[in-house]
Formats: sequence, C-alpha cells, structure tokens
Amino acid sequence: MTENTAVLASYGLSKTYGACKALDGLNLMVRRGDIYGLVGRNGAGKTTFMRMATGQSTPTGGELELFGASGKDLRAQRSRTGAMIEIPSFSPFLTARENLEYYRLQRGIPGRQAVDEVLELVDLTATGPKKFKSFSLGMKQRLGLALALMNHPDFLILDEPINGLDPEGVAKFRQILRQLNQERQTTILISSHILSELSSVATRYGFMEQGRLLEEITAEALHDKCRTCLRLEVDDAAKAAALLQSQLGTDKFEVLPGNVVQLYDCLDDPKRASYALAQNGVALLAMEQKGADLEAYFLNLIGGGHHA
Amino acid sequence: MLNYIRAETYKVLRRPYTYITLAVMLVLEGIFAAGFAFHNSHSFATPFGGAIISIVEMGIIGFCMCLLTGDMVFAGQYKNSTLKNEVSFGLSRTRIYLGKLIAQTLLSLVYLAVMMAFFIGLCAVCLPMEGPAGFYSSGDALIIVGYFLAAGIPLWIGGQAAMCMCLFLVNGEMTSSFLYVGIVFVLDTVLSVTGLLVQGGLGNLLVKISGYLPRPMLDTAKTVVGDPVYLGQAWLVGAFWVAACTAIGLYGFHRKEIK
Repeated sequence: MTENTAVLASYGLSKTYGACKALDGLNLMVRRGDIYGLVGRNGAGKTTFMRMATGQSTPTGGELELFGASGKDLRAQRSRTGAMIEIPSFSPFLTARENLEYYRLQRGIPGRQAVDEVLELVDLTATGPKKFKSFSLGMKQRLGLALALMNHPDFLILDEPINGLDPEGVAKFRQILRQLNQERQTTILISSHILSELSSVATRYGFMEQGRLLEEITAEALHDKCRTCLRLEVDDAAKAAALLQSQLGTDKFEVLPGNVVQLYDCLDDPKRASYALAQNGVALLAMEQKGADLEAYFLNLIGGGHHA
Repeated sequence: MLNYIRAETYKVLRRPYTYITLAVMLVLEGIFAAGFAFHNSHSFATPFGGAIISIVEMGIIGFCMCLLTGDMVFAGQYKNSTLKNEVSFGLSRTRIYLGKLIAQTLLSLVYLAVMMAFFIGLCAVCLPMEGPAGFYSSGDALIIVGYFLAAGIPLWIGGQAAMCMCLFLVNGEMTSSFLYVGIVFVLDTVLSVTGLLVQGGLGNLLVKISGYLPRPMLDTAKTVVGDPVYLGQAWLVGAFWVAACTAIGLYGFHRKEIK
C-alpha cells in the first residue's frame, strides 16, 4: 500500500469511450475511516470511477488500489466491500427476502439471520410476498443498501444512495452511515447531488470536474473556508489588522491579498469594526458579510452557474 | 462454485417460468401419448414400443429446451442489470460464467429426466406393451431410445454451451436467442450449401464440418443405433462444442463492460 491508511487509491486513472474522456488522469485517495463525499456535476466521472472501483469497468490507463492490492490481486479485496452503483438492480420476480437470500447463498455468507438483520436495518421486513418489480424507488434503494451491508463490509461505495428516499428514509440512512462509520469503522465513499445531505455526513470531500479531481479537502477545512465572516476591503490591511487586535481585542481574522481582511468576530455588531477603523485613519472601502455552504463552494470552484 | 450453483438453483426454483414451462411440456407429452391411446381405441394398435420410438424423431426439442433453460437461469441479467451485484462483490467472471453454464446444464438434465420419465411412464400405463408385427418390441425400442439419449446428451450439452455463450456475449434475450438459433439450426445448412457451391477441397471441408455440428450429429444418431464409434464421436463433438463455446464466451465476457 502506497499509504498505509489508504482504502482506495487511484493514480492517473483514465477511461475513454471513443473520443470522450470520462476519466482523465484521476488521482484520488480514500483513507481508512473517511466518509468521502464525491462531488461533481453530471458527467464529471463520479460513477465511472465507482464502476471501476467495483470491477464493472476497466481503466484504459493508470492504476487502482483497493486495500493496498492492485492488478490481479485487486478482485479478491472486493469481497470486503459493499456497493450500490446507480439504480439498485435485482431479479424482478423475487421478493426482497428471496433476492437477498440468493446473494447470501452466492457469496457464501453464513446464517440466514444475515438477511433478516439487514432487512430490519433498512425497514423492509414488512414487504412480504411483494415482488421487487412492484417496489417503489425508495424501497429499491433500501434493498440496494441492504445488499451492500449484508457482508459487513469494511468499505462501502454508494452512488446516489438517497435518490427516491422519503425524509424519514433519508434520516435513517444518515444514521446508518454514521453508525457504521463510528461503530464499525466502515470507510464510505459516497456521491450525491443533494449536497446538503452529503455535507451532513462527509468527513472529506473530493470535487471532480471533467474526469479530474479539482480539490480534495477535509470537512473541517471546508467548514473553515465556508464559515461566515465580515469581508473588509481597506486601504491598509496591515494597519487594519493591528487595529482589530488593539481596539477590538480579537485575533479571529485573516489578511488576504488585495488589502482584504476577513474578520470572524463582531458578526452581530459590524459597526464596532467600522468605527474602530475609521477613527484610526483606515479607510473602509467596502464591507460585506460573507458565508458559503457546500453547494456555493462547489459552484464557485467549478466557475459557477452549474448544478452539481 | 458450489455456492454459486446453489444460489442459481434457489433462484430458478422460485421462478414460475420454470414450473409453467415444465407443465406445458408435460401437457404436450400427455396429449401426444393420448393420441396413441385414442388411435388404440379405434383399432389402430400402436404399442408401447411404437410410441416411445417417436422420441428419436424429436431430438430437435432438446435444442429448443436449451434455449429455454438458458434463459431461465440467466434471467435477464443484462436487462435487469444484476450482473453488477456479482462483479462488484469480487466474484470472478470465470466463476459467474461457469456457474451459470453448470446450472443451466443441470436444469436441462432435470427437465430431460422428468420429461422422459413422464412420457415413457405414461406410454407404459396407457398403451399395450406388445403389438402386432411391424412395430418395435418394447425392448428394442428402449434400446434405440437409450442409444439416442446417450448420443444426444453430450450434443444437447454442447447446444447449452452455445446458448450460454450467446446470452453472455449479446445484450438482450431476443437477440441472443436469434444468434443461438442461427448457430444450432442454420449454421450447418449454410456450411453445407456453401461447401456445395465452392466445391474443391474447401467445399469438401465445409460439407464435412457441417456434419459435425450438434444437430446433424443427432439426426444421424438414430440411424446408427448401437455403433460405439459414433457414440464416442458424439461425446467428442459435444465436448468440443462445450470447450469452444465456453472459451469464446469467457473471452468476450471478460472484456465486457457491465452496465
């Protein structure tokens, strides 16, 4: 393993379909214990990457490592993973229990109670003789999650897992993910277009665009970057910084290029800051309250205007 | 591999399709046997031997059954996108392919056993064991049918391997069924006609090859009853078809993107 904490790592991973580059030298690392939120607009390459990680598709270039194994040894490591890629797919003529029993037998998972446990976990015990073809999208999603969890995986790969879930289902899903991550130390790679949901569980983010990784950032660092502040544009940033320390007694600010100071204090009383600067001869050219969420951050990163 | 076959068996036994198909086949057999009995009641004596010998004329049904049993086990895995659940767990594509082929073959053999037992049993119950001169005796008929089945089983398994290959290589049951029909029912005719048109060494070779395809081999089996050399050839041809189709199918499946 290149880095002993890496569960999944890609090095210069590429995939082309004709003239289209779905992945273009992707370098990405999911570390043990992460809930890694993969963010990108449609066609950014998220699903392509997940399909490669699960063996559904083969790369045209680069290397992929799973639990430190690569090449021919990689496949054996997939039994330690659980995956739900795109829409959950099962035999339409079988019930939820029958579908899971089929995969339990196929995977050699001992004990029939494994099926009951996951059905209970995703609230699908009451579906009885109802066939998969009659399931709602939410029920299909929950069955897909049940299959992904049945083998107690060390690593979960989930592509748009909350599509079609009702609010109660989303809350339950969030709780399951946190529980798995905290109690079983399950590493999770998850993509979602519902960024508010992603931001409530992810501990690290990867932002993808056109088959490349634009930025990788921890949740803490993102929180710091997105937190609310007063953006002060002044004529002398160094003097302003000294005044904020001496007059307001705060060191919660950052000096940015272009004579800009970001103040994380006095948010409820911005007049204090403007008086202190004005009375001591610092010209305040502009002042605004600024803050961002994951969506705004992502849109800003990719150049704005597009939805994830 | 055993787990995989157990799982496939579990799935197939829960499909109404499996039972409906078997029921339809048994009803057709029942109607066929009733036809002999009906003739009997009108003084047209068809004894047991004369009835069961008709099995050798129906070898083609075995190849048709390969199409159905293949579809039953494969269960629309491309259409339903369920192969991704198997591949993403790390099951090797070789295991998936061979597991399905073995499950299909086992199902075909069970169908064969049930259908043969039902038809022969029904004829034994409904028809007189001995008839007038000109009909096969019960013993002779059983020997001919036994030889035919012994030669037919490897050839049908070869057909099953061809069906499995088509299912894995081509998305969509309808298209793969057409490809299977082309390989098993039309290819020998194409080869022999081309051979006749081309003539010369290549023409002779094509005509000779056409005779070693599963369906013409089975057609010939009923005319050479008791010939151990031909029986050996049938097993060799069956084994060759299983090996060739499996090699091609595995090669293609390993390169296929699971969508």
